[in-house]
Amino acid sequence: MVLIVLDHAAGTPRRTAFEGVRAGRRLAEALGVPLAGLVLGDADGAAAAATALAAFVPTVYRAADPALAAGGHEARTRAIVDVARSVGARVVLMAASRSGQAVAPRVALRFGGALLEDVTDVRVEAGAIVAERLTYLSRAVATVRALAEPVVVSVKPGAFAAAEASAAMGAVEDVTIAFEESDRVAQVEPAGRAARDRVALEEADVVVCGGRGLGDADAFEAHVVGLADDLGAAVASTRAVVDAGWRPYAEQVGQTGKSVAPKLYVGLGLSGAVQHLSGMNRSGVIVAVNKDPDAPIFKVADYGVVGDVREVVPALRAALAALD
Amino acid sequence: MTIVTFVKHVPDAEARLGRGPDGLDLGGASFALDGMDEYGVEQALRLREAGAASEVVALALGPARSEEALRSALALGADRAVLLETDAALDPIAQAPALAEVVREAGAKLVLVGGKQADWDSAALGPALAEALGWPLLDWATELAVEGDGIVAVHDVDDGSARWAAPLPAVVTAQQGLNEPRYPTLPNIMKAKRKPLERRPLAAASATVETIHVERPAHARRNVVLDGDVATAARELARRLRDEAKVL
Amino acid sequence: MDFALPDDLLALQRAVRTFAQREIAPVAAELDRHPRFPWPTLRKLGDLGALGVMTPEVHGGLGLGQLALAVLLEEIAATDAAHATIAAVTNGLPQALLLEHGSEAQHERWLGKLATGAWIGAFCLTEPHAGSDAAALRTRATKVDGGYVLEGTKAWITSGGEAQLYLVLAKTDPAAGARGVSAFLVERGTDGVSFGPPERKLGQHAAITTGMRFDGAFVPDGQRLGAEGQGFVMAMGSLDGGRIGIAAQAIGIARAAFEAAVRYAGERTAFGQPIREYQGVSFKIADMATRIEAARLLTHRAAWLKDRGYRVTGEASMAKLFASETAVAVTDAAVQVFGGYGYSAEYPVERYLRDARVTTLYEGTSEIQRIVIERQVRREFER
Repeated sequence: MVLIVLDHAAGTPRRTAFEGVRAGRRLAEALGVPLAGLVLGDADGAAAAATALAAFVPTVYRAADPALAAGGHEARTRAIVDVARSVGARVVLMAASRSGQAVAPRVALRFGGALLEDVTDVRVEAGAIVAERLTYLSRAVATVRALAEPVVVSVKPGAFAAAEASAAMGAVEDVTIAFEESDRVAQVEPAGRAARDRVALEEADVVVCGGRGLGDADAFEAHVVGLADDLGAAVASTRAVVDAGWRPYAEQVGQTGKSVAPKLYVGLGLSGAVQHLSGMNRSGVIVAVNKDPDAPIFKVADYGVVGDVREVVPALRAALAALD
Repeated sequence: MTIVTFVKHVPDAEARLGRGPDGLDLGGASFALDGMDEYGVEQALRLREAGAASEVVALALGPARSEEALRSALALGADRAVLLETDAALDPIAQAPALAEVVREAGAKLVLVGGKQADWDSAALGPALAEALGWPLLDWATELAVEGDGIVAVHDVDDGSARWAAPLPAVVTAQQGLNEPRYPTLPNIMKAKRKPLERRPLAAASATVETIHVERPAHARRNVVLDGDVATAARELARRLRDEAKVL
Repeated sequence: MDFALPDDLLALQRAVRTFAQREIAPVAAELDRHPRFPWPTLRKLGDLGALGVMTPEVHGGLGLGQLALAVLLEEIAATDAAHATIAAVTNGLPQALLLEHGSEAQHERWLGKLATGAWIGAFCLTEPHAGSDAAALRTRATKVDGGYVLEGTKAWITSGGEAQLYLVLAKTDPAAGARGVSAFLVERGTDGVSFGPPERKLGQHAAITTGMRFDGAFVPDGQRLGAEGQGFVMAMGSLDGGRIGIAAQAIGIARAAFEAAVRYAGERTAFGQPIREYQGVSFKIADMATRIEAARLLTHRAAWLKDRGYRVTGEASMAKLFASETAVAVTDAAVQVFGGYGYSAEYPVERYLRDARVTTLYEGTSEIQRIVIERQVRREFER
């Protein structure tokens, strides 16, 4: 069996749950084994999530306990391993979210198998489970093969498209977990929503960089910082912007500033001088917005929009907000 | 109390990764103590300086060159070091039992390890160590203090942050924000040469994952210029970022 | 024969390189534009342990030698030459002379402060009318009850007005020529000591340089370094080490310009290919690399010999001459590789060129070095 741990937030399935279903279906089909989901949470949350997700997998196992809602890794590990054992799972699949990345190794070790971590792709080759994952600070791609079974797979959020609902409604089965004292040792209570403190430039997954094309410091604040806030991104600047005194040196990217390689780099109102490119050309996906269609930045960009940043950025923010 | 702080010797974040005939060429890369592990070393030293610990042991697993990462930890202020030496490529799941053995032997109550390794981009070692030891895991800590027989902390979770408290022993993964690591001073680098560093061959452990191939993808850019009026282009850009580039 | 640096020195080199890139690099260009003495980074360099390289561990230093100092100065200079100048002076001159000639009480009083970087030291030999001709000094120290009274003017004092301790050479016996020169340790804030405004100069702006005046400044007997009349010999004895330090600094500046040029030549394209594919650029890079390598070999060998107790007057001058001329040539070539951008203050190579220029001037001009070298040649030849 392929068992997918399906995440939800207070009963509403997370996007990663649907992504997991797509990866799980592929593996179940290739291995010729059945597919099932596992929902963890308190009674209300687990019930709502299981009902919603039954449309996507033939069976949803539902484990309800207050300890599973609190986010303790130990209780979640216990529940996943108990269910995986009892259903004889060959593959346990979960999202490589923060909690998934904390739980997956524990499950792999306790369950006695292998861990394919934070994968961007996963498939079956000659009976073995093979995956691709990013390495070396996302600068290289490794192809890896599991040498032991069962296999725990954590799937990088966003790497798979969300799955469509199945034709038939699945069954929901309640399972009871035999927790041990040690599973409840940590006291966890929420302390805050995602910190709005800006992430460090060099470690950020998304960087929004502004150039002199913004016109002035206020426009930079409104458009570059505004878009960065929306994306949870770090803010960067070109040399010209720092020299103009709009932004601090710490934000400068380029030959005389910092070198960044985020997964997504958005360059706004900057031409892409070679000195700037050397600081960001290792980025995963590059987006450029500039009113000059001949600006060198478009040569290294994946996506470009030719236009005034002060018009394009508000439109882009609205479009991003409208994405479901 | 003894704290074990795990360190890894990884390619410098600034190092250029070459493209070799078999994929990745690390020949030109310089190696250093993993920056994420550095936060763990720093926290261990601060806990010792605050009187919450009496000894800090740096622990590494890897080839002989890993000794350099241990020397860096000693130069920062760790008291002694242990290297489990192996040339085998072992995944975190395969490493954890051997590392846990050293932790038990040292009588440690707290293990610190970087949240994510800069070479394998893996966040698995901390959780795997917690499992091998049967201890609770505190991942992605941004605050950490020892109070009485336990630790209290703040850490990042999927939706934000959470307060976390548990009695010791425990495994904690460190990250940026936990502290500001110190520099090894030049006198301490000299003294580090005289601190004990024990090298042991790693007893047989077998990998659970093998690497078939690693390559540095050439950045073939899509070079798509989105047409239409501003609103249309923006909508198309947002859609492609999510569905095609998968970066949202 | 072993050309590899020892492992521990490599570890120190790495530490200083990391430090310089993280702490000094972000402020270097700004300090050049708006010159001020870089106290915050100097304090950190002191905490790091890089300001007492040759002072023994008991006094808070590293207890290493001239080779270690050369390696560390190159690292600092590769990020910012001004920091390297200040570090070279405080490490090399006051500390080395205090260590060699100071009494136990003087060691106790000043060495620890200098070695840890709590205090910065300065060296006051040059006068408006006397540079390398140290015997022609005019500053006078007149013996009075319990000490000396100093009168006169000094010029080109690195860290003038900022340093807390000044090693001052003055004549105690004007009739005795070079043998009438004595050395004094003068603290900042001494009555009768004043400093001129910072000199405006071509480069190394943050290495503040001033004139210094003594108007009847009283210096107690306990602050004379060594015996009366020994000052000139002392100062001459410090020159070899000082020249090795400047050679190392010059190599650091050259290296910074070279690395910037190599990166740029690989990134900048002209007529469809990176400019390094053109021989006009690639040959320049080859020559730059070769000169830097040769300069480093000369410098490390002079330092290595000095650490083994050899007299290295000729070797130190050769290293200083070749390394400083290399720094000027390499930084100039780097500007050429950058083309118009090289002339622009938006990129650091023009600063490297300005910073390098003084290395053929201070601690003896290239002409002085040639005189020293030729004298050594003659001595060997006539032996």
